[in-house]
Amino acid sequence: MKPTKPGRDNDYTLADLMTVAASREVRDGEIVFAGMGMPILAIMLAKKLHAPNLKLIFEAGTFDSNPKALPTSVGDPRCVTASSRSSGMTEAFFLAQRGYVDLGFLTGVEIDKYGNVNTTVIGDYLDPEIRLSGSGGNPDICSFARRTVYIVLQEPRRFVEQVSYITSPGWRVKKWPSGEFVGRRELYGDAFRGGPSAVISTAGVFRFHEDTGIMYLDTYHPQHSPKEIAGLCLFDLDISRVRGETPPPTAEELFLMHEVLDTEELFLPRSNDRAAVPNNR
Amino acid sequence: MSESKQITMQQAAEIVKDGAMISFSGFTIWRRPCAFVFELIRQQKRRLHLIEVNSGPHSEFLIGGGCVSIWESSWIGHENYGKFGANLTRKLKGGSIICEDYSHFEMGFRFLAASAGIPFIPTRTAMGTDIHNPHYDMLGRAGLRDGSNPKIPRKKYDVIDDPFFKGCQQVLVPAAKVDVAVLSVQQASRDGTVRIGGQFFSDPEIARAAETTIVVAEEIVPEDYLRREPRLNTIPNLVVDYVVECPFGAHPTGVSGFYDADGDFIRNFYMQTRTQEGFDEFAREWIHGMDHRRYIEKLGASRLISLKANSALGFSSKVQKG
Repeated sequence: MKPTKPGRDNDYTLADLMTVAASREVRDGEIVFAGMGMPILAIMLAKKLHAPNLKLIFEAGTFDSNPKALPTSVGDPRCVTASSRSSGMTEAFFLAQRGYVDLGFLTGVEIDKYGNVNTTVIGDYLDPEIRLSGSGGNPDICSFARRTVYIVLQEPRRFVEQVSYITSPGWRVKKWPSGEFVGRRELYGDAFRGGPSAVISTAGVFRFHEDTGIMYLDTYHPQHSPKEIAGLCLFDLDISRVRGETPPPTAEELFLMHEVLDTEELFLPRSNDRAAVPNNR
Repeated sequence: MSESKQITMQQAAEIVKDGAMISFSGFTIWRRPCAFVFELIRQQKRRLHLIEVNSGPHSEFLIGGGCVSIWESSWIGHENYGKFGANLTRKLKGGSIICEDYSHFEMGFRFLAASAGIPFIPTRTAMGTDIHNPHYDMLGRAGLRDGSNPKIPRKKYDVIDDPFFKGCQQVLVPAAKVDVAVLSVQQASRDGTVRIGGQFFSDPEIARAAETTIVVAEEIVPEDYLRREPRLNTIPNLVVDYVVECPFGAHPTGVSGFYDADGDFIRNFYMQTRTQEGFDEFAREWIHGMDHRRYIEKLGASRLISLKANSALGFSSKVQKG
């Protein structure tokens, strides 16, 4: 990904911008269910800045974790460091179902205008073009968290009218056995806690209309325009509520991401002009 | 002292019969009994029903080796080192494997039910998704829910009204009643007491859910050592039927406190085995005509040293993770 501005200190990549946008979704004191990649970096960044009291849960069974080295997956022993408790998945699943989780961070391959997400197959489930990794905890976290933030690549084939397979529930979901679409609140009844709250793509940040549950564009990343982003969605994107450009990363955020959190460039490659600082690894 | 449950890897793999329902310990690329899986492939097991909370490289070995007819789980892939299960995808497209999708929590709860001796468990997860689409009940479509196999539930899931409180509908998921569970762990004694380091994932549930539970330990330690602080033990000996000692038995997956996941090995496997010819080549090089000792020799000392965990940190401070 190319740097978008000249100059050494403020050079950032698109991945940097997305990570920072994601970290700004975290509020202090929240209990956050973390996935790997950009989500874990966003959460660790938030904890170093505006949300020092957030508590991190890893699905494999670690609670209020404080990793010193960046984990590569939630089963990684690096997740266990300085945690309040480390156990197993049943405890993590029960805590989430019991309602302890404020925020989930997830990724999606396809997303539709109601925030339904697909990570299972592309094409007909019974004769798929591509079999993906499957649900993992995606629907579970999205079912139980008060808010869920998704990270998705901005391409027309990914922002679709209707996903090929609903892996994870959005604001209008299928009621079985008929499969008719109903509102999430109606289906979930007193199990309702919330749903997708934001989508961070490679082009902008999206949110969902309070009543209809339909996605709208909130901010656009530098070098993009609302109209262009609407053209990168296969549904009619609401661009009437756009607030402006996605705020770029600050020097402090960039320093923390590259010189403290992801020095090995596991998830965030440096921009061409941000030379690697020799480290003592 | 109790009787020894220790057997060889070869003997352990012989316990798994063709057509068995089998499950494994661990989480994605961590603590998977890969040496055991390689032995299953050498013994040419067929028609296995692989059911697990989530899958990983070990599942891809077994599937690529032609041992699996049914895959029932929530996820398959290699984390950072490979996006999805290339072997599962290929076999699914070729029609030689049935995939039954549940959510991660649902799979965990299915093992929890079996581990508690109850036939099903209520949950409220994944409602409104295609996981509950009745047309996508793949075991049902294959005519396997007719009760002729007592381990396969008659329905993929069911829904009931809460009979006790004025609550919402509950999704019921059936117990995962497996024939054999194989666990990769850090320490066990010959009598079957197990001590797992780091996160224990769903392993205690999987161990109790199975008819036969086999433990593959990085090291066998004296029974009295584990009994000095029983609260640190994860699984009691009476749940475990057999114990195998196998250092680096989870490679290329990682073991907390012992060694990291071998990302290069996993990535190469993923890239190489996107075709069946590639898998067969991999199997000729790393599985067939090998045993675990030769496998370790082939990996070489320098590779294992770079993976070796720092004993204070619990993970390697030398390995390149990217």
